[in-house]
Amino acid sequence: MSAADQAAERSKRHRADVAPGEAYPEEDIAKGIRGYLIGLGLAVLLTACSFAVVRMNFIWAPAIPVAVIVFAIAQMGVHLVFFLHITTGPDNTNNVLALAFGVLFVVLLIGGSVWIMANMNHNMMHSPAPAPSHAHH
Amino acid sequence: MLGKLTLDAIPLSQPIPLIAAAVVGLVLLGVIAWTVIAGHFPYLWREWITSVDHKRIGVMYCILALVMLIRGFSDAILMRSHMLFAYKAPGYLPPEHYDQIFSAHGVVMIFFGAMPFMIGLMNFAVPLQLGVRDVAFPTLNSVSFWLTASGALLVNVSLVVGEFARTGWWPAPPLSEATYSPGVGVDYYIWAIQISGIGTLLSGVNLVTTILKVRAPGMSYLRMPMFCWTALASNLLIVAAFPILTATLAMLALDRYLGFHFFTDSQGGNSMMFMNLFWAWGHPEVYILALPAYGVFSEVISTFSGKPLFAYRSMVMATMAIFILSFMVWLHHFFTMGPGGDVNGVFAITSMIIAVPTGVKIFDWLFTMYGGRIRFHTSMLWSLGFMLTFVVGGATGVLLAIPPADFVLHNSMFLVAHFHNVMVSAVLFGAFAGYAYWFPKAFGFRLDEWWGKVAFWFGISGFVVVFGAFYILGLLGMTRRMQHYDVADWRPWILIAGFGVVLMLVGVVAQVVQLVVSIRRRESLRDETGDPWDGRALEWATASPPPVFNFAAMPQVHGEEAYWTIKAAAREQLSLRNEPDYAPIEMPINNPTGVVCAFFATLIGFAMIWHIWWLAVLGFLGAFATFVVFAWRDKAEYEIPASEVQRINRANRTTRLEALQGVGRRRAA
Ligand code: HEM
Ligand SMILES: [Cu+2]
Repeated sequence: MSAADQAAERSKRHRADVAPGEAYPEEDIAKGIRGYLIGLGLAVLLTACSFAVVRMNFIWAPAIPVAVIVFAIAQMGVHLVFFLHITTGPDNTNNVLALAFGVLFVVLLIGGSVWIMANMNHNMMHSPAPAPSHAHH
Repeated sequence: MLGKLTLDAIPLSQPIPLIAAAVVGLVLLGVIAWTVIAGHFPYLWREWITSVDHKRIGVMYCILALVMLIRGFSDAILMRSHMLFAYKAPGYLPPEHYDQIFSAHGVVMIFFGAMPFMIGLMNFAVPLQLGVRDVAFPTLNSVSFWLTASGALLVNVSLVVGEFARTGWWPAPPLSEATYSPGVGVDYYIWAIQISGIGTLLSGVNLVTTILKVRAPGMSYLRMPMFCWTALASNLLIVAAFPILTATLAMLALDRYLGFHFFTDSQGGNSMMFMNLFWAWGHPEVYILALPAYGVFSEVISTFSGKPLFAYRSMVMATMAIFILSFMVWLHHFFTMGPGGDVNGVFAITSMIIAVPTGVKIFDWLFTMYGGRIRFHTSMLWSLGFMLTFVVGGATGVLLAIPPADFVLHNSMFLVAHFHNVMVSAVLFGAFAGYAYWFPKAFGFRLDEWWGKVAFWFGISGFVVVFGAFYILGLLGMTRRMQHYDVADWRPWILIAGFGVVLMLVGVVAQVVQLVVSIRRRESLRDETGDPWDGRALEWATASPPPVFNFAAMPQVHGEEAYWTIKAAAREQLSLRNEPDYAPIEMPINNPTGVVCAFFATLIGFAMIWHIWWLAVLGFLGAFATFVVFAWRDKAEYEIPASEVQRINRANRTTRLEALQGVGRRRAA
């Protein structure tokens, strides 16, 4: 069997029969690097913006926190798209689901814990109310 | 030099555990010595200890689980027999020892009995059912297993060197802080669970990846067997929940080792935060264990009723609903410890809602059986026993989810009865059902039915007697974790529970005898065809035991019940599918990374427990070096030549063809 035949044979096998440990076709590396560079640029830009609005007073002071929050959310978006490769493409369902899964459970855990602990502190950490009258024996 | 470790660490004053451990140790050493002397060690090392084959790792998980279940059961026997002598008397176990026993019992049963059994079954069956050759990361799989074994080892070492936690199976502060638990018991707990917990997390990542990314062509999500779905849900829960446990125990460790104050109420910490975080892992954990068992029951019930699973899609929905809901109920474990009525109310409702998808499952199983031709194989008996008893456990669960009721029943024997009712009936029965069901696939011969049935009938009747008595004891006001008592009303029920344990013991012995008898009679129990139960999912398409590569060519899946479809077509035409074009297969090479990593992890754990800092550093360096060596390996796979694949596959085809000709002859007659 010639080398070319072997290669063809191998790629045929890849399509029909991908067992764990076998390599998948390589992706276009240059395209990948470009994506990361754009992402890095945007992330740096957004970081710089947040510092800028705080340090230079070209926006109305009470609006600064809102601006920073907006930049932070945009920052998350940039990370998700360029670094974690969340897209709407059909081959991306797993990534999107993984993200939804992570967000859901983090929200449940942190939200739930904050709520529960605050409620318990509210209930339990008071100095005790004046004792009811049955306490006298 | 040796930290806190001195000769005093050996509890000479407590002869019972010492003798027990010495016996176990001697047996273990004997077995090891025998394998070495008889020359079996090289085989064990090459083919099992260093194996990265998911089937072998699955089997090793189950063996570990069986051994540890027996350990946990011995603890239960100790507790129940002690209680027989503890009426108006101190009993034979001193309190500080009794406390270690119920703590160790809980830890061993949950982390080293139930967990490895379920993970073992998933490891074994999921890749076969998906029609693939291994899990996504075979070596990582071996690491996971050996880390679990390392944790189990540490728990058992605590029998002879030092002591185990006296805190119960969740080490709640302030009791578990250094002030109130200055000994090494809680440290044994922490490091055993941290090490095995990392193993579990890695195994969760591995199986999730496998199910999402490595499936046979055509095996879309909605064509996966039910067991794969429940495995997916269970492993997603592992990935979501185990980090919480690890973080919580890490904080407890910081409190104990470095004087942090995460959970000490003085200094700004909050002990209820431990409770909150622990149960945020703890309730999902219940479903991590129960979901795979539901999957086993689905496979078994459908196979032995000779029908497809009723309302497959509703079963998928129910599984995923349980998966999400299980993360929304954790507060029911501390209704009584301070939350207000509003919070309690919300969590009470979520807790009750989770019974709905579970009920859906029960009805789906019932309708699967309805109109079917039921064969009462042992695994089917376990499944039926589960359905009958689990409904009771579920009902008492809904009862406990009502906060006012829980204020009465919390931490009573009623609660103990409830969680054993669900744990034993779902997880243990599920484990035994899966064991009887897949055993021939793993070893090539069936288990003896007679002894299996003895084990079932004694097991289930003992279970009903023990925990029935516990329910009543709870209603009579007995609290959990009592070391002695003087209430005359309780006495008869405690005697009855003691009798129930004897019944269970007969069941356990029968289970062991079954294994021995089956091994000795393996020739007559041989599974020739690879499909002993007339199965429906792809694992039954392989020979028993399957070749390392599972499938000579990836099966093409065209619908639900992949194997049933193929088999039905073959029976129709009285011929097999055409032979595939055989090609060489690449498989990962066995390697000792897992066992070596776990060796160093055990060193780290032991060193941290006894404050032997240099040894901990050494262990860490060793583990890192092992990782580096593995990462730099230059050959990861070996090739099985096409001719070999062909030879193995033809053997399987021949037996299948003979079976088909049998069908043909019967039809002709
Ligand atoms: C095989 C028969 C079993 C018997 C006879 C048994 C008996 C007991 C007893 C007597 C206790 C102590 C109750 C008390 O607080 O006074 C206990 C506690 C416990 N058991 Fe079991 N058990 C069995 C199986 C299991 C299984 C299969 C599991 C889990 C998969 C399990 C998990 C636990 C846990 C978590 C505790 C609580 C320990 C603590 O209080 O911290 N048990 N069991
Ligand atoms: Cu719960």
